[in-house]
Amino acid sequence: MFLCGTYRMAVDMIDFDLLLQWFVQLLIAFVSTLAFSFIFHTPHKQRIFIGITGGLGWITYVAASFFGIETAVASFIAALVITWISRLCAFHRKEPITTFLICGIFPIVPGAGIYYTGYYLFMGENALGAGKGFETLKIAIAIALGIGIVSSLPRFLFIGGRKKQERKKEAEK
Amino acid sequence: METAVSILELSFRMGETLLQSGAEISRVQETMERVAKSYHADKLNVYVLTNAIFASGAEKGIARSTELKYIKNPRTHLGRISAVNQLSREIAEGRLSAQEAYARLEEIRTIPYTRLPVATVCCIITAASYSFLFGGSVTDTAAAALCGLLLEPLLYLIEKKRMSLFLSNLISSAFVALAACMFYLLGLGDNPDKIIIGTIIRLVPGVALTNSIRDFFNSDYLSGAIRMIDALIVGGCIGIGVGFIIRIISMVTGGVLV
Repeated sequence: MFLCGTYRMAVDMIDFDLLLQWFVQLLIAFVSTLAFSFIFHTPHKQRIFIGITGGLGWITYVAASFFGIETAVASFIAALVITWISRLCAFHRKEPITTFLICGIFPIVPGAGIYYTGYYLFMGENALGAGKGFETLKIAIAIALGIGIVSSLPRFLFIGGRKKQERKKEAEK
Repeated sequence: METAVSILELSFRMGETLLQSGAEISRVQETMERVAKSYHADKLNVYVLTNAIFASGAEKGIARSTELKYIKNPRTHLGRISAVNQLSREIAEGRLSAQEAYARLEEIRTIPYTRLPVATVCCIITAASYSFLFGGSVTDTAAAALCGLLLEPLLYLIEKKRMSLFLSNLISSAFVALAACMFYLLGLGDNPDKIIIGTIIRLVPGVALTNSIRDFFNSDYLSGAIRMIDALIVGGCIGIGVGFIIRIISMVTGGVLV
């Protein structure tokens, strides 16, 4: 009876509806990033990894927004995650990093900001429009910082496991 | 064995291919230098900008200089960048003769773009899924899918006509707004803003933004600035195109749309 009760409480604490929602979002972001990989003509072999990059990036953004983090900061965190995964993929798949980065970053590019800026400016709501425009710029700068910081981190952080490194050194000899 | 192809020519062509496909500046520069070094060219000095390669070098004691300009609007082709990257890796390992490398490069330059039907399907998928991700209802998603279906052929036409950056983005974003509002007025979709946001993701300057950041952090400030301006112009044009159409439609229908 008691066990049953604690189990119930634990189950109640997890919001399954929310988790399911996030899972659906993850899947949809995955599919749409995959579609972008066709638009930018990426090699076939890398498509799954591109999708994963985009999906995880978007879910980071959604989770950050859920915990009440401001849009620009959430974009920054998502950009960090996307670039990190891109560098990992780039190293292990022996690909240029841009293959993963360009497609993966698309979900968090401020399309909505651009839209609302144009909308308010043309509807005569100058103050709102300027606010939205500034927010869009802020998001773009946040994304830039996120990408830039992870891009300039030292290389060894992205080499998973020492074995691979050693094997590479041998190959170089 | 006597190599008939010029090493410098190979290096230039590789750089040109990379730049045309939208690679970062540092990648172009490194690849060109690496190729020249692997084949023991006497000298190669390169300076790469977003829209030009300046290179001079010497090979078998003969000085050569070349200035390469490239097409105004590069079409992003990540597959070609990846293939050239692979090729330069193999060249650096010394596995290919210059002749073979040149043949491979010619093959790479003919890797096709995604065909229009496939691209249209992808555009439909992206439009629908982003309008859903940004909180659109099911009918919004359907409307966005229809907008995507119309947008990709339009982009293809614009590409063929070689319009300027300003005009192509103004036209396509205005078109998206118009289509979305029409669907809304015909009763498909609940929020025109969600439909439009979903569809304009296809136009948003994500590539220019990413590349400009990569250039900035590689200290190629000039090229980074060029691409940043590119991103700003494209973003601004999208906002103007969409806002203009919405204003006109709300004036015609006599009410605020969104």
